[in-house]
Amino acid sequence: MRRPMMAVLATALCGIGLALAPAARGEEIVLKMWARADRSGPLRAGNVVEAAHAVNAWLAAAKTGKTVKVEVFESPAAGFDADALELLKACAVGRCPDLFVASHTWIGEFARSGYAMDLEDFVARHPWAFSDVIPVFWEATKYRGRIHAIPQDSESRMIFYNKDHLRKIGKDEAFIESLPAKVASGEFTAWDFSKLAQEVVQKGAAQFGLLHRPNVGPDYIMTFAAFGVRLLDDGTGKLALPKKELGAALSWIEWNAKNGVTPRNNTQMSWDEIQTAFKQEKAFAYHHGVWTLPEFQLGDAKGATWPKDRDGYFKKIGWILMPAAERGGKPTNLSHPIVYVINPKSPNADLAALFVAQVTLPYYNTKHAVSSAHTAILNGQASMPAYRDTWYLQEATKLLPWSTFQPAHPDFARYNQLLYKALQGVETGRLSVPQALEFLEEEASRELKDQFLVIG
Amino acid sequence: MTAATRSRLDRLVFLGPATALLMLFYVLPVIVDVAIAFTDMGRNLEVTRVTTENVARIFGGDRRLAQVLTNTLVYVVCTLTLFNVGYALLLALTTTALPDRAGAFFRSVWLLPRMSPSVVYALLWTWVVAPTEYGLLNQIVAGIGMPPLDLKSDAPMLVVVLANGFIGASFGMIIFTSAIRSIPQHLFYAARADGANGLQIVRHVTLPQIRWHLSFVTLYQALSLLVSFEYIWLITDGGPFYDTTVWALYVYQRAFTSGQYAYGAALALVLVAAGIVAALVLWRFFDMRALLQRPRIEVS
Repeated sequence: MRRPMMAVLATALCGIGLALAPAARGEEIVLKMWARADRSGPLRAGNVVEAAHAVNAWLAAAKTGKTVKVEVFESPAAGFDADALELLKACAVGRCPDLFVASHTWIGEFARSGYAMDLEDFVARHPWAFSDVIPVFWEATKYRGRIHAIPQDSESRMIFYNKDHLRKIGKDEAFIESLPAKVASGEFTAWDFSKLAQEVVQKGAAQFGLLHRPNVGPDYIMTFAAFGVRLLDDGTGKLALPKKELGAALSWIEWNAKNGVTPRNNTQMSWDEIQTAFKQEKAFAYHHGVWTLPEFQLGDAKGATWPKDRDGYFKKIGWILMPAAERGGKPTNLSHPIVYVINPKSPNADLAALFVAQVTLPYYNTKHAVSSAHTAILNGQASMPAYRDTWYLQEATKLLPWSTFQPAHPDFARYNQLLYKALQGVETGRLSVPQALEFLEEEASRELKDQFLVIG
Repeated sequence: MTAATRSRLDRLVFLGPATALLMLFYVLPVIVDVAIAFTDMGRNLEVTRVTTENVARIFGGDRRLAQVLTNTLVYVVCTLTLFNVGYALLLALTTTALPDRAGAFFRSVWLLPRMSPSVVYALLWTWVVAPTEYGLLNQIVAGIGMPPLDLKSDAPMLVVVLANGFIGASFGMIIFTSAIRSIPQHLFYAARADGANGLQIVRHVTLPQIRWHLSFVTLYQALSLLVSFEYIWLITDGGPFYDTTVWALYVYQRAFTSGQYAYGAALALVLVAAGIVAALVLWRFFDMRALLQRPRIEVS
């Protein structure tokens, strides 16, 4: 009887010893991070985890007796909006992480709720990390004029068009290759593009003229911007419904749906159906972003093989900005920066901020940019070998001067859901353009209350 | 211990756990819902004031509700009558008329959707009604030379009713099968001896004998359908526009997609009230009290 008892006691002591061993070696600080599980950007969290190696090496060299461990919670949310709602709930019940990844459009809500640290002074104090950030991205991180997040990545969105379809309908090479420049100069408008896409469909070169995303997101905000839609009123800081401009944009969408350019059921199609249709050359054009090149455009995916090299790819596919609504107007691009946010209530807030400073360095960010096909946030990254050798990032960076952003307003996510509903209503023929504007005015006025104003 | 104390202790021991669970999972959520419905709770879960705005919005301010209510009625009535009761009854009648093994085989086939994870089942439907030529339905119609169909855009409510109906029919099928099996055989023999044909036997023997089961399935499934939305959410997400948004899905979208928790709670409250009213009306209509009353004779 005594021997088994001794064995149990010995085992228990060994267990306690093992559990206390790290404490005996020194203090371990656990940094809790929240990042949406997103196959298009695993290094948003991965880089922070990796940065712990460097930080621990410095702590060891300084003989502090402390170590840092980063624990990542990968949220399974379907998108950044759903993720932000989950995170807000977690924070409301006292489970807020030390730092988190979010869409820049949610900074306002997090800051208003007290979950986003004011980083204006921190950024100024650490030029070694932040002085090379492309200045325009700071604008996307501000709440009430002050920086509340650190840019993590940027992107370039464009309309991809199939040059072989244009060759099939008899367009010459000079016309085909001149399209991007004509769009950039405002000579080739959105309506010109629709007529061209219609011609491609009518002549049987493709089944669809233009396909776009089938859910709530930023792409159609870029379309609206080309029609002069400004969704944030600069004077009041409120979300805006510029009826004349948005009416024009929705009329363009309606025309496309009525004239065989965009299928009426585009928003009922799955991502896979849309991307497969473009890859298998059943769609002339596709509106999305640069990261779709490694995702499915280059090489074998979606049942077709496209060239992987720059010249081969651009012989088949061209990129244009969203063309301007009127001749001489300004075309648009849209960047949707993802950002790091620090929880000001965290006891490790300063440490978390230093981790973010560390992963803003070119070494880390370029790894993310190249592996996920997102454009750089630092000027200097363009000369990093890995970035320089990724030809599609180099090309996408050229479109950044036309970048616009979605409004960083706390209520924009809800407004965007209504905008998508209006678009869907018009495209499917459920609503006329005036009805869609009426729907938006009524719903947004009711939901956004004094944070919303109608222009025109 | 006195008899009275013993009696009280027995009640506490035997009814206590069940009562506690009932309060925790059924009554308390309703109380919490009522409390939230009269606040301004938003995305960050903060409550700054108590208000009746949400209730006022339901009764006059939300123009989407008329369409949502109509959708809900169409969805519940069609799915219930055509599938959860009608088709379930047809399956039960036909499979019990077959030899045992064949009947069991067909019932098992109809139970398969019920055993599949919801997401897998919804994905299958998404593939079946996909508007492109990759959709299963369109592969079939292409084979007979017809142009492709786009049911998700042109008849979205039909897709929703079919998807829910095919999975919902299995519940009634099982109940009705066991009910039909429990009908004394001599009633069928007597009907045959009187010269009744198959349809007459169903009309005059089977249906009266399974009346209570029909009532129960109708009531239970009506309430289930009123609050179910997962397949609609997964297949159409309530669209296009609001064409397939039923009340329960609208509650979910308002609360968890838009973060309007207070308004979602108020909408949910209406659903709870509608469920109670529907249950009482159906209870009365089917005279369920007679079903649950004590037997008048005791067989020992």
